[in-house]
Amino acid sequence: MRRTNIVASVVFILAVGIILALNPRNTIKVQSAFLGMVAPFFRTGSVLRVRIDNYHKALKSLAQLEHDNALLVVQNSALKTDNETLRGLEQENNRLRRAIGYEERSVFQLIPARIIARDSGTWWNTVKIDRGFDDGIDPDMPVLTEDGLVGKTTAVSKNMSTVLLIADETCKVAASVEGTREQGIVRGERTSTSSQPEISLSYLSKTADIKPGQKVYTSGVGGVYPSGVAIGVIKDFKVRELDGRATVIPAVDLTTLQDVFIVVGKK
Amino acid sequence: MIFFGILVAGLFLSLVAQEFIQPLAWLYGARVLLMPIVMFYGALALPYWGMLALAFLGGLMWDAMTVPVVDSTVEISLGWSILLYATLGAIMSGFRPLFQRGRWEIHCLMSGFFTSVIVLAEYLMITIRRGGLIFPNEVWWRVGGAGVIAALLSPFFFFTLNWLAPYVGYEIKPEQKGIL
Repeated sequence: MRRTNIVASVVFILAVGIILALNPRNTIKVQSAFLGMVAPFFRTGSVLRVRIDNYHKALKSLAQLEHDNALLVVQNSALKTDNETLRGLEQENNRLRRAIGYEERSVFQLIPARIIARDSGTWWNTVKIDRGFDDGIDPDMPVLTEDGLVGKTTAVSKNMSTVLLIADETCKVAASVEGTREQGIVRGERTSTSSQPEISLSYLSKTADIKPGQKVYTSGVGGVYPSGVAIGVIKDFKVRELDGRATVIPAVDLTTLQDVFIVVGKK
Repeated sequence: MIFFGILVAGLFLSLVAQEFIQPLAWLYGARVLLMPIVMFYGALALPYWGMLALAFLGGLMWDAMTVPVVDSTVEISLGWSILLYATLGAIMSGFRPLFQRGRWEIHCLMSGFFTSVIVLAEYLMITIRRGGLIFPNEVWWRVGGAGVIAALLSPFFFFTLNWLAPYVGYEIKPEQKGIL
């Protein structure tokens, strides 16, 4: 073996040893730094993709656009009305909670984000979003849409973050079943992808009265996810040796997900 | 040095580009992986220490991009891919004489096979870490699918990079001296 090769091997082994010895905190730092480096490329790529996607939409006729606009105006009015009503209910709820000595419930502050890339690895269900710590994002922040829970942030860089989807096996969410006192843990399957998501609700009691169609919500246990966010709908329920396990259809269609909200705190 | 820079840029760009390619639903979620192809070409074209440098940069970028850290737990340590790329790259570079004689098909097949090895190694690591050795059909489809796609795409990458090399004054030799 030539001397240069021996020197190269020694330097290589030392460098790899240092990298392998990094603790999780430093691993996150390296990942964040790398995400910061690739962010401009992802943003540019994402903008190009959106432009290509929008090309067909731009070919809509004027009549179609007018129709869409009229529909959106009506929807906007309806949502505004709902919002006002809910705000009143929130105030009333907080007043009543104060009256019986409960802590006031706050509305969460949401930051909108756009998905700029999907599924980095073969075995992990992740997406990349165009928000980072410059926007107030930190690791372990819940991510959702108007339909329900999407996942939580993991690595965060200056202006890009990775979101671990609920379809991933490592994303565990404490959940409760609508209309019952049953609580369990929701998590994805090892081989599921965001194109074929499968999630399950485990650690339910074997005698649980759970039927298909019941809704599953976050229970708020664990502190990462706020309570009451929709996770999905029960598909089936099976009794195992030690517990009950339900298959859940996610409330959010992870295949067509484009825009999400990150829960950054309370208003 | 210029050619090495081109290969590093190729690694980076292929890693970014593959993020924009959706997993193939008809292949049970198999991914189109471009970066390993560039890496394996580098293993053929560069001398031993150039291959190590490329494996180091490629493996580090790969892990930084793909491996999530969940609840302060690292499933696969940052750096494992470097070792894997270096090992596979060393095997690949052993077949350089055949490549120089124009027998590309072997290297294209090897590139596909090694891509499958990378995907399978990732799965083995997470499955050992998480517990429960589960091997449903989807696993084999994704492992094999990624390899077949890489093998099919390899000729295009190999040809492009091989065509580019003389333009930047680089010539592939059995054992290079001081190209970096």
